[in-house]
Amino acid sequence: MFFIIKIFVFFRRESKLFFTNITDLFSNIVFFFLSIFIFVFALGTDEQLLKTIGVGIIWSLLLLSSILSLRKFYEEDFNNGILVIIHMSGISYELLVFLKIISHFLFVQLPFLISLPIVSIFFNLPTNEVYNLIITFFIGSLILSCLGSISASMNLLNKTNFSLGGIVVLLFSIPLIIFSVGINNAESELIYLINLLIGIALIFLGIAPWSSAAFIKLAISNK
Amino acid sequence: MFGFLINPSKFNKLADIILRPLVFITSIILIMGLFLVYVSPLDYQQGLTVKIMYIHVPSAWLALLTYSIMTFYSILCLAFKIPFGFIINKAVAPIGATFTLLCLVSGSLWGKPMWGTWWVWDARLTSVAIMFLIYVIIIFLSQTFENREVREKTIAIFILIGSINLPIIKFSVDWWNTLHQPASISKLSSPSIDVSMLQPLIVMTIAFSLVGLIIAILRIKAEIIIRKNH
Repeated sequence: MFFIIKIFVFFRRESKLFFTNITDLFSNIVFFFLSIFIFVFALGTDEQLLKTIGVGIIWSLLLLSSILSLRKFYEEDFNNGILVIIHMSGISYELLVFLKIISHFLFVQLPFLISLPIVSIFFNLPTNEVYNLIITFFIGSLILSCLGSISASMNLLNKTNFSLGGIVVLLFSIPLIIFSVGINNAESELIYLINLLIGIALIFLGIAPWSSAAFIKLAISNK
Repeated sequence: MFGFLINPSKFNKLADIILRPLVFITSIILIMGLFLVYVSPLDYQQGLTVKIMYIHVPSAWLALLTYSIMTFYSILCLAFKIPFGFIINKAVAPIGATFTLLCLVSGSLWGKPMWGTWWVWDARLTSVAIMFLIYVIIIFLSQTFENREVREKTIAIFILIGSINLPIIKFSVDWWNTLHQPASISKLSSPSIDVSMLQPLIVMTIAFSLVGLIIAILRIKAEIIIRKNH
């Protein structure tokens, strides 16, 4: 019972932080919209072309805008010493990373869901593709949170090469992009591909807490 | 007996003994392999370009082998706290990157006359290109962090995460319909390649591995000396 209260307190703190920094999230979404506008200006407004490449562009720009919010994943808590305090209250680093991933998924990635239908209007996407996009983003953003956790914890002590974190996220998101964009022109049943995506999400949900916790322990012992 | 695999001073001792004979044997095998490649028959479809295979296949094998060795040593040094693995990881990564690049470039040169393009977005080609990027990131990582322990452990964990790519490369020709042909030589069945082409291929593979081994030994020895002076 006491343990559940601790987790509840953790999430209340995260939500407070989220509501005080809500402009940060809005600027991420504005970045997403602006980059889509810039893409359309660069390609021209041919309706048929935009319809065929729409999902791919939306996905790659979602990936890029999720990289923007990487730095605040662990860095503030690490510099404040909050990570150590939470650990001392009886939560292992692995569980801490897991809770962080869930809170990042809820507070940073899910608000993008609201922007997806609006964006698909710009590209004149058919309705079933919009549904597919929303389903795949719902699963895929969990994978993005895991990858963000890995690269953010890797970069805790990195003071010289900042773009490395983004490179790592892009590198490991390749299977996600392949399966989530390929869901629209797949011949087989939809449910198989969604199962495959859920499988990838579970793999990364298994890898991320272990590796992020290892990186965080390393960073704390060498601070 | 296998102490030289995990102990730097034993490794140094053994390396001093075997390095000179190894260079001698390697040069003989390399010359023999090149001669065998020269006299090997032309393919009835591909003509002269089939000889690219004798560079392409050994370098692809060695690129995979190098990554497997790095994965093995990463597990060893993270789980059993053997610091020799970190030395291996740092010394061997540029060798693997070079072999991967060699494989990609020779494959591209082979693809132009045979398939008509330098590059196709094919599962095998793409996964090998991703492995090259992983090697490059490992080399970047080894020059990023100031603290040595952080640097080494970060590289080891990154290698372990990146090893997901290895089975994808191996089985990409079986899982997806690709332009790249499936493996001609496998352990379980008889090879689907003629003996007159198999002989130079095996000799070239041995020669390539020995060249890689010599460079690895030199790099590891240099790395041990750097480590001692700090």
